[in-house]
Amino acid sequence: MIQRTLVVSAALLAVALSGFAALGGSEESVISDQIRLQASRKVVPEHGYRVHEITREDGTLIKEYVSFEGKVFGVSWKGPTLPDLSQLLGSNFAEFRNGLHPQAGRRKAAVVRTGDLVVESSGHMRAFEGRAYLTSMLPAGVTQDVVQ
Amino acid sequence: MRRGMAAAAVVLTLSLAGCGDGTSGSSSETTSTPPPVNNVQPVIVDAGPVISGQPAGNANVLFTTVTICMPGTATCQTIDHVTVDTGSTGLRILASQLTLSLPGSMNANGQPIANCIQFADNTYQWGPVQKADIKMAGEVASSVPIQVVGPSNFPAAPTDCTAGGTPVQTVSDLGANGILGVGLFRQDCGPACASATSPPAIYYSCPASACSITSVSVAEQLQNPVSMFPQDNNGLAITLPQVPAGGAVSVSGTLIFGVGTQANNTLSGVQAQATDRFGNFTTTFNGVRYSSSFIDSGSNGLFFLDSATTGLPDCARQEAGFYCPGSTTGFSAINSGPNPNISTTTVSTNIAFAIANAATLFNSPSYAFNNLGGSNPGAFDWGLPFFFGRTVFIGIEGRSSPAGMGPYWAY
Repeated sequence: MIQRTLVVSAALLAVALSGFAALGGSEESVISDQIRLQASRKVVPEHGYRVHEITREDGTLIKEYVSFEGKVFGVSWKGPTLPDLSQLLGSNFAEFRNGLHPQAGRRKAAVVRTGDLVVESSGHMRAFEGRAYLTSMLPAGVTQDVVQ
Repeated sequence: MRRGMAAAAVVLTLSLAGCGDGTSGSSSETTSTPPPVNNVQPVIVDAGPVISGQPAGNANVLFTTVTICMPGTATCQTIDHVTVDTGSTGLRILASQLTLSLPGSMNANGQPIANCIQFADNTYQWGPVQKADIKMAGEVASSVPIQVVGPSNFPAAPTDCTAGGTPVQTVSDLGANGILGVGLFRQDCGPACASATSPPAIYYSCPASACSITSVSVAEQLQNPVSMFPQDNNGLAITLPQVPAGGAVSVSGTLIFGVGTQANNTLSGVQAQATDRFGNFTTTFNGVRYSSSFIDSGSNGLFFLDSATTGLPDCARQEAGFYCPGSTTGFSAINSGPNPNISTTTVSTNIAFAIANAATLFNSPSYAFNNLGGSNPGAFDWGLPFFFGRTVFIGIEGRSSPAGMGPYWAY
């Protein structure tokens, strides 16, 4: 780890995105996210993991937490627009959907905790934030508190 | 949350009415100050719109009745049970409840403009942007872009709008006939959606082939109807009486348009707190600051933190998301933000509140509760219970008032 922060400019190639995944997926999937989100990205090394910070033009900040084994164990988002959770949660999205309890009259926040997956989504128009992580994929010595 | 309380429900029906009160204001005078108008709009918390003989039956939903008209005409429709939502901006009417054929908003190529609103729980509303005059009390907002939600004769929602989520586009899904977004902001999106390079998935252009994300000027976006009134347009106040600990079957109150513009909306006995540019402020609870907290009449409870932090047990699956303590539990928290008039001064207000067992409340015959709550990890969402027993002022962004420039809350 030579540089504290590595800034990567947004790829402009129109690449095939069939291998898209995010939470629980590989580090390469983060780059797919960046392209899909039309955003800039930087990588911040931390003790025991790396954080890819993806910033959309509208200011929405998406963080993807990657273990040294190259797996995305957590994602978080904060900003004026809600990112596409079906993209960010990848193969875990169906589990998130199944864990939601539709309640008419309450359309603001969602918390889903299954055995391994935790998703917390909150906020209002112009200010959304949330996080998701897979407990089983947290690196040794790293707690879910880092995902925020 | 759904109970069979059909017997006592007042059946308010949709009606087409000629609201031929003509245009308000004097037309030939040179003065720019319009004459004062009635700025008091009734609101109610009740069992909601009736669907197949049964009321929607959700707890803590604040409703009002809105009249919309073909722009510049007296051809109007009055729609009851529209949710009053300080957490969003813009009027959204379910297409199934709309009988007027309003003019659609078009882009420079003559293609219809559509709008997508996404909620944090992965639900969404989709539909074309159309223009209507909006009448509430004696106030008229002219030719306002609104969203018509889920019409059958319009292209389906694109995948970047649905995002794998669930539509909330019927009366039974929404528990209302529409949403009246009268929050802190003047538009639902603002400059981000006017960006020519990469606007978010909120506005779409819809040629015959398929809808795609587009940029829309700030003026053509969904607007806060209050900010488009000729007067009383710098904010509003919501006043609701307190309710007993066991709840109330219905509660009546008022929306008062304008802040410091008439004798009935002076800022006496309240303190103003500016929000950040996202509409959030800091709530301090047990010494910990939660800086993404907000006030939202469209949230039906006090949603704050989580079971581990509050010590309140979560409810079982049927009332998932709410708290179900064995006995009603009292709390206090401090809301703080800069004084909008003197930004270097912090204004803090202590808020006392209580949380009762949500399952018990839902099993009662009442619909209005000041002690219904649930989880919202990392922040406070001060929902409708916060409004009971208070007058809450909303200062609209960029508009001045005796309290200072919006966005701010005052209570």
